[in-house]
Parts: sequence; structure tokens; C-alpha cells
Amino acid sequence: DVTSGQVVDPASQGAADKDAVDPENDFQREMSFYRQAQAAVLEALPRLRKLQVPTRRPDDYFAEMAKSDQQMQKIRQKLKSKQEAMERSERAKQLRAMRKYGKKVQTEILQRRQKEKKNMLNAVKKYQKGLSDKLDFLDEEQTSSQGNKKGSASQWIKKGPNAKRRYKNQKFGFGGKKKGSKWNTKESFNDVSSFRSKVAHNKGPGKGGKKALNKRPGKRARQKMKSRAR
Amino acid sequence: GKWRNKERVLIFSSRGINFRTRHLMQDLRTLMPHSKADTKMDRKDQLFVINEVCEMKNCNKCIFFEAKKKQDLYMWLSNTPQGPSAKFLVQNIHTLAELKMTGNCLRGSRPLLSFDPTFDKEPHYALLKELFIQIFSTPQYHPKSQPFVDHVFTFTVTDERIWFRNYQIIEEDASLVEIGPRFVLNLIKIFQGSFGGPTLYENPHYQSPNMHRRLIRLSVAAKFREKQQVKEVQKIKKKGSKVLIEEDPTEVVFETPAEEKPVEIQLVKPESKPIVKDKKKLRKFQRKKQKKFFRTE
Repeated sequence: DVTSGQVVDPASQGAADKDAVDPENDFQREMSFYRQAQAAVLEALPRLRKLQVPTRRPDDYFAEMAKSDQQMQKIRQKLKSKQEAMERSERAKQLRAMRKYGKKVQTEILQRRQKEKKNMLNAVKKYQKGLSDKLDFLDEEQTSSQGNKKGSASQWIKKGPNAKRRYKNQKFGFGGKKKGSKWNTKESFNDVSSFRSKVAHNKGPGKGGKKALNKRPGKRARQKMKSRAR
Repeated sequence: GKWRNKERVLIFSSRGINFRTRHLMQDLRTLMPHSKADTKMDRKDQLFVINEVCEMKNCNKCIFFEAKKKQDLYMWLSNTPQGPSAKFLVQNIHTLAELKMTGNCLRGSRPLLSFDPTFDKEPHYALLKELFIQIFSTPQYHPKSQPFVDHVFTFTVTDERIWFRNYQIIEEDASLVEIGPRFVLNLIKIFQGSFGGPTLYENPHYQSPNMHRRLIRLSVAAKFREKQQVKEVQKIKKKGSKVLIEEDPTEVVFETPAEEKPVEIQLVKPESKPIVKDKKKLRKFQRKKQKKFFRTE
């Protein structure tokens, strides 16, 4: 009693695939069922079409479905909620990653700024101390950072500190901590620029009528005199 | 056209079924428009009473669900007047109402049935295939049926069991979504008559659920017993085999008793040691001293 169009269909599937299906492996098993169904459908639909059995439902055909609309709504809700949860977790992850990256970039920028400031100050100090009379560092800074905006400012900086300030620096030295600074270093020891030979050997012109005649002879001389006198 | 194929399937159950089985039954009733429902059968009546019930309802096929111990579900598929019948153990039931089954189909639309090639290889499988075909396929031009073909039942033999799935056909290129329900049938026996008669085939791989549970319990008990035995063996080993050595007279020869020390009675409390708070620090100082010494050398 298998009338034409009575829907019966053995599906053929490669025997090799079947043997490899491990019943414990859920995914593989379900996939094999799926493939079997697909093969059956692909074989059956042309035959049905030939027998003029309709397979596609027209869009205006409304009839009762096996699952109620309410049920389908529930299913749709569940799917949506699952998707949303996934999206939320994705977004959270991305945010975290971005924040991390942002923080890194920020610290880098701050460090760079600090470094630049330090370099600038060092260069300025160098110039002030007279070690380098070139003001190139300013030029470099300007060209790299701001350009023409600070042109007038750079010109003003070229003159350096005030004339009064310069005189005082020369006389009293530069500001800053003096206590911990080194003295009697190699350089200062070997620096004999403040040696006045005439002063040391008492050869220079006297400061106008010195009581030189009252000079007492030294110890050695006195002893010699003493011993000679005896 | 004229409705010629007058197949009617009676779907009902015994008492003591749980909610899942009830839902499965209802799902089958909705998917098969050529089915009829009946009240629950009492356990007291014997199985061949079912044949009379079917005759009263004018059905020529029957699906009967039998629940035992509130745990195991058996399913009978039978061709009622005199045809063969088969008894299965049903497992892994998932119903239409589960939210993971996202497909839907027209109520009463005719299904496509798809069988595993294994069904053609063995005679008992061939018999089952014929039974499935006659029961599950909706007759053409049945008054409650819809003329479209939009879902497919698959029967697959894996792991000595028959797996049933129901998919909705979405596109003509065979993209499918599962509608459900789904279950696994474990064949027990095939009888010549309906709900009785001589046995045509008995499944050698079938193990009754009682036996299965019993085996699990036995294995657990066996493990426990093994542990006990091992413990006992260890105990015996400890106690036994202690060899008694005879007394050796020559052993005492070289023994010289030690001199007796004068008994000292301490009247004065001994000086207390300097309390070292930090042993590490002490050691550190010691090391520094050593280093200094080493350097000045």
C-alpha cells in the first residue's frame, strides 16, 4: 500500500562514513543524522516535484502548526537572550582590552613628557654653566614640537638670564645645593689658575708702605743665629 | 484526491508514566494526524486486551507505552489484528517543547522518512523498517493532513540502537532545523502475533535496565570488596612471617659496663643564655665582621 507520493525514502549514505561514527561523540553522531536527512531530502524533492506533490508552502497559506506561536516566541526569546549574553561578554572583554591599552599609552606619553622636560632643563643648565655655548637644543625642540609659535620666545631665551643675574652667578656661583657638592676633586686640585706667583713668593709690589722691616726671621733662621751666637 | 490508505494508529499508555512520556505521546499525536488517543490502560489487564481496544477504535496499528518502576519506558509497536509486534526500550527522550528544538512544521503535514542503509541488510531490521513506514507515514489525502512535505523523520542504527530524529526542511537545498521529539529505541523482541505469540527475533545485545543497574551496583561493590581484601592481605603480611631468632650466647662477650658517673645535684640555677632575637641578624653581623677582616688583610 505504498501509493505514489506516499513519502518513504531510504537514504543512502557512504558506508564508510557510517562505520566511523562514534556513538559516544555526540556532535559526530548528530552530524551523521543530519547528513542522512539531507541526503534523503535532496533525493526525494526532485521525485516529489515530478509527481506534482507540493513541497513549498506558499506565503499566504496559514494553517495550524505543530508548535504553537507562543512556543515559538519562547524559543526566539531564548535565542535572543543567549546572543545578547554573548555580545555583552564580548563587549566587556573589548572594553577591558582597550582600557589596558589606553593606560599603557597614557603612561608612555607621560614618561615621554617627563624625559623631554628633563632633557630641556639639562640643556639649559649646561648652557648656563657655559659648557656649551650653542643654543641648538632650543632649535631642535622648537622644530620638533611647536615650530613658529614660540619663535619670539626662543629669541628672548637666547640672551639667557639677566645681566645682573649673570654677574651675580659669576660672583656667587649658580643656585642649587651646595652642601653635598664635591670639593678637592681632581680637577679642582689640578687647577692652579688662582696661583699668583708674585704673591706666593712675596715678590710683587707691596701694597704701599708695608711694615716689611718688622719681619721676624723664621724658626730655622733664629736657631742658626742662636747657635752661631753661642 | 480520494483517501484510500486507511491507516489508523492508536497511541496510548499504561498507568504510571511520568511527564516526559506523556509529552512524548502528545507530540506523536500532533505529528501524526492519522492517530487516535485512548485512556490509560490498567496494569491488571493483560496485553492482548489491547487488540480488542484497537478493534473497537477501528485502528489497525498501535503504539503502546508501558512504564515500569516509574523509571523504565517500554514501547510496543504493533500491527493489531494478527501482524507482528515489536517491543522496545525507550531512552534519551527529548520532547517538542524543549527550547533547543527550534524548528516548526505544519500540523499534519506529511513527513519524509529516511532510513539507514543498515535497515536493508538484516531481516529483522527490514521488518522494523516496514513497520515504521506503515505507522509513521501520513496517508495521502487524509482529511486532517496538509498536502505539503516540510519535515523529515530519520531512523538510524547506531550502537545497536535505533535513533529517531525529526527535522524541518527550510530551503530546497536541504538546510534543516530540528523540530523534535527525539528518542532512542533499543529493540528487545519481535513477536509473531500482536502483543504475544512466538518470538521471531530476540536482540542479543539487549540488556534489561534492571540488569544494567545491577551490574553497576555489583561493580561498585566489587571495587569496595577488592579494597577490603587488599587491606586484609596487608594486615596478614604485617602480622605473620616474623622470624624468631634464637638467643646468641656469644653476643654478650664484648659488653663492658660503663663507669658510673657521680650523681651531681644542681643547687644553683644555671646562667640563662643571651636571648637572641634575630638569629639571622646575628649571623649577618658575623658575616660582616668576617668580610671586614678579610678586606683589611
